Order: sequence, then structure tokens, then C-alpha cells
Amino acid sequence: MNRCLIACASASCLALLLMGCASGVQNPKGIPVTQMNADERGFVAGTGVESQDLVAVTDKMARSILGVRQVASAASTPRIVLEPVINETRFPINKDIFLTRIRTQLNSKSAGRMIFLAREQMAALENERKLKQTGAVTSSSDPNVVEFRGGDFLLTGKLQGLTTKTKAGTSDYILYSFQLVDARTSEIVWEDVAEIKKQGLEDAAYR
Amino acid sequence: MRRIADQAENEAPLFHTTMRLGCVQKAVRLAVGGMLAGFLFAGCSSSSTGKPVAGLSGDPIADGHRMMEAGKPEDRLLWGYRGAAAAMRRGQYSDAKRFLDEAVDRLNGMLGRDRTASKARSAFYRESKKTFYGEPYERAMAFYYRGILYWMDGEPDNARACFRSAQLADSDLKAESFSGDYVIMDYLDGLASLKLGADGADAFKRATARPRIAIPPAYDKEANVLFFVEFGMGPAKVAGGEYGELLQYRLGNSPVQSVRIRAGNYDVEAGPYDDLNFQATTRGGRAMDRILERKADVKRSTDAIGDAAIISGAVVGATSRDNEEAAFGLLAAGLVSKIFSAVTKPEADTRAWDNLPLFLTFAAIRLPEGRHSVSVEFLDAARKPVATFSKQLQITVPPAGRDKVVFVSDQSATPQNL
Repeated sequence: MNRCLIACASASCLALLLMGCASGVQNPKGIPVTQMNADERGFVAGTGVESQDLVAVTDKMARSILGVRQVASAASTPRIVLEPVINETRFPINKDIFLTRIRTQLNSKSAGRMIFLAREQMAALENERKLKQTGAVTSSSDPNVVEFRGGDFLLTGKLQGLTTKTKAGTSDYILYSFQLVDARTSEIVWEDVAEIKKQGLEDAAYR
Repeated sequence: MRRIADQAENEAPLFHTTMRLGCVQKAVRLAVGGMLAGFLFAGCSSSSTGKPVAGLSGDPIADGHRMMEAGKPEDRLLWGYRGAAAAMRRGQYSDAKRFLDEAVDRLNGMLGRDRTASKARSAFYRESKKTFYGEPYERAMAFYYRGILYWMDGEPDNARACFRSAQLADSDLKAESFSGDYVIMDYLDGLASLKLGADGADAFKRATARPRIAIPPAYDKEANVLFFVEFGMGPAKVAGGEYGELLQYRLGNSPVQSVRIRAGNYDVEAGPYDDLNFQATTRGGRAMDRILERKADVKRSTDAIGDAAIISGAVVGATSRDNEEAAFGLLAAGLVSKIFSAVTKPEADTRAWDNLPLFLTFAAIRLPEGRHSVSVEFLDAARKPVATFSKQLQITVPPAGRDKVVFVSDQSATPQNL
């Protein structure tokens, strides 16, 4: 009788402890974010643009642009104007950072085969020219002659996203596409894309 | 001698039993003591590095900055949210950006394991031990405010990204009926797309497909002054149920039902497109609700089992001297069960972004470049202005190609130069 009662009490205690450990929710600890190849089928969906994406995408684009025939074999060194990247994803990002990294990669690797124009500095450049024209500062050339270069090519890009959210998690596919457009003819002389897909699941405490 | 021998014979089993009971008592004491110590250590093992903070100033912006720095790490976003809403209303947009940039970054990165969330799921910790990200309607509002600020800075594409994230934050695709259903997020998504040269028709269709209050007008691509307006007091969180395990909402209210904007030749009236009461209360159940329900079940059943064991032990002990050992065992088990019940914490997390509005609306007009006077009146149900909320604004419309974004709340400072 006594042993039976003690056994029952012990079993009750054990049951209580086990009850406390059971949450009853599938994947309660969530699934960490995993970077995947774009062509790999994921188990759910993803997250935003991160530094490793930026590096991978801009490296690829810079390598690709260097091989463009119109740039590599141009009679004179082509001048390139950077146009703002358009963000069509659901992630707010500093878009200019893509073009900045592509430009720095190309400047360091092209050995002068292409030149970028600092159009974002136009206000400061025009102000400097006015100062020279008024004689407020010295000038090494005639400041009344326009020497600001026109661009031969426009380099721009677009980030587009596709988001899936299910009870299994969130997935984001981002397509990074860049173009080099001939400023005279409007022809797209080069275009390339990079794709990144990420997915993850938040902890059950946040679902 | 015989009597002494008989006495010794009779007392021997009693002595033996006393010895055995003494061992059991010691063992039980050790066990109970160990468990108590375990519970105490469990309660003390918080990883919080928060330093003690003196009283708050009552200024949500100053308190936000201060508490984000010195408050509990798990409440960091909560203070940021509150500070952001206050900063938006005072026109302190750089402060609002500081608060919201962190919020957006963290909301976009909340996937995967989280130690505080693991604790919140444990029976012995409150849900409020988890890092505060807010419920979906609160997360959506963080994206919404940041979107307004991006548009204000001439980045409608990043603004659109925020409105899309807001809609996603609100969606729970366990059931189609709980998918993101903010009218204003879809509407602004479409307007931004249109202004960026893309097609906003799909987003507009979604925005106007299920209007609950006011129906947004067709887009005017040339409208260059955009008014983001909010009014009323948003919903509050309360804990319901036997142990406070149910997250419930006390609905917000507003004497204001619409807004009238006068600027130049324009006299525009706009009703609310979204209602945060609706957004807070219609998303469907949380996974955490099931966890809290289980915690409450554990608390309830361990309490009942403890009562039953203690009563049984007392009854057994009182009715039979032969079962004292069992009676003590039952009492000890009952005590352990009661302790287990006492330390189980099923309370729902009622931390809330408590300065959110109730209604959101939007209006867009065309004004030429330069300075303009704008009056904003908040109208009651009879469409009469609520005088205490009227705002006077001086705005500077930028040259063509860029929009002037004006954020107005019934709680905004007035007059404002924007």
C-alpha cells in the first residue's frame, strides 16, 4: 500500500516535470537564417540584403563589366556615369553602396581602361568653377571653357524581390540586375544579374 | 523484566519506524530544499545586464534614448518605438530615424534562435522575458513610420520597401483571412511605384478591394505634397484569464473621425483608411498563446494535484498510524507540486507601444514650389472640428521632381515649420 502510494506520488512529480517541458509548438526554437544558392530549393523563405551579398554581387558585376567589348576595346577611354539603383524589394537599403563598390572595384582592377564621372559632386564642382570665373580662386586653365565631361555609358541597377511567408517561415529572393547603357544610342551594351535566396523562421515566442 | 522486555519488544518496531521515517524526512527535506534552491537559482539566473535606472523624465524621446542605453536589453525596442512616435509628432525626425533604424534592422533580423525567447517559453519565466519586438500591428507601425521618413528624405523606393515590410509583418499565412490587410500600406506601395515610373495598379486594387472605413481615392501622380495623418489613441494590451495568460486588448478610442486639410485652393477631407483596433485584434492566434495556455494548464493542474496530495496525506496520516510514511510522502509530493505551481509563470506579455494612434489616413495635393500655409482640422463624428487638435503648419514645397512629405498627428506640436 505504502509503496504504491509513494510510487504514485513519484510518478505525479515526474509527470509534472515533463508537463513543464512541453510547449506543444512545432519548431519552437525557430530555424536560424541560412544562406542558400538561388537555384536551391529552400525549406521556406528569407531575409534582407547583407554585406556578404553586396560583396558577392559587386565582385561579379565588376568582373563582368571588364569583359565588355565596347569597354575593353574602345578607341578612347570610356567615361561612365553612375545612375541611382532602384530598390523594388521589401528591404530599405543604402542603394548607392552597390554602385560605390562596383566603381571602386573597377577603378582598382581596370587599370585606367574606364573612367567614372563624379556626377554626385556636380554642385560642388560648379561652385568651384564659379569661384574661378569670378577670380576668387586661382585657375590653371580658362574657367569659362566647359570641361566637365559627358558620359559615354550609364551604369545603373535594380533590386527586385520576391517574398514568401508561410507558417513554416519567411523566404526572400532578391534579383540584382545591372546594366551599362550607351548614352549616345540607348543600347544596352551589357547586362548581368545575381540572385540570392534566404529563408528563416522566427522563434515561436514571436509568431 | 517481562514488562520491560514486552515494552522493549513493543517499542522496537516503533523505534525502527522512527529511524526509517527520520531517513525519509531527511531525504525529502534534501529533495525539497534542493528543488527550492533550484527554483531560486533559476529565478536569479537572468542574463539581463540592465543597470538600475533612476526615475523617468516623462519625455518619451529623452526616456527612449536613456532607457535604450541603460534599461533592460529586452525592452530596448519598446523604448525606441515610444520615442519614435513622440519624435514624429514633434517634428524631431532625426531622433525618430535613430529609433526606427534600429527597429527596422532588428525586425528584419529576428529569425532563428533567441535565448530570451527560449526563456519566455519556459514554464518558469514570464513571457515578458523575451526581447520585445511587439505584436504584428506594432511591428507594422515601426516600418510605416520609417517609410514616411524615407519618403521625406526623397527615397520613395525605400519608403515602399518599408510599406511592403509593414504589410508582411502584419501577415500570418496560417490562414488566408489573416494575411496583411492594411489598406494604407498597399495604397502607399502603389503610389510610390507610380511615382517611380512603375505600375501601381495591383497595389491600388488590393488597397481598395477590402476597405473597412474610408475608400482611398485614385492616385494623382502629379500630387507633390503628401499628408500622412493619424489620430486617436491606439489599443492597449491587458492580461486576461485565470492567471493572466490571455493576451487581450482594451480597444482604443478617438473623438476624431476624419481630418480636413486646407492649403492653397485645396480643401480636402479624408476618413481613416486603417484602424489599429482592427489590426490588433484580428490577426488570429499567436503560437505563444498555446505555450501560455499550456503553462496555465500546468499551473492549474500542479496546484490541484498539490491540494489533492496534501489533503490525501493528511487524511492518510490521521486515519492510520501504519501509513505515516506514505502520508509524509504524499504531503511532500503535494508540497513540491504546490511549489511547482507557484513558480510557473503563464502571464502574457503586456508590454506595449502605448503611444500609437488609432486611425491612419493619407491625402495628396498639388502645390507649387515655395512656402505655403496649411491648416489641419480634426473632425468629430458630426464633422465639426475638435478645436484642441487643430494644427497650423508652414511648409516649404521643394522644386519639381521631389515630394513634400508632411506628417501630422492630433498629438503633433503646433505651429510647425516643415
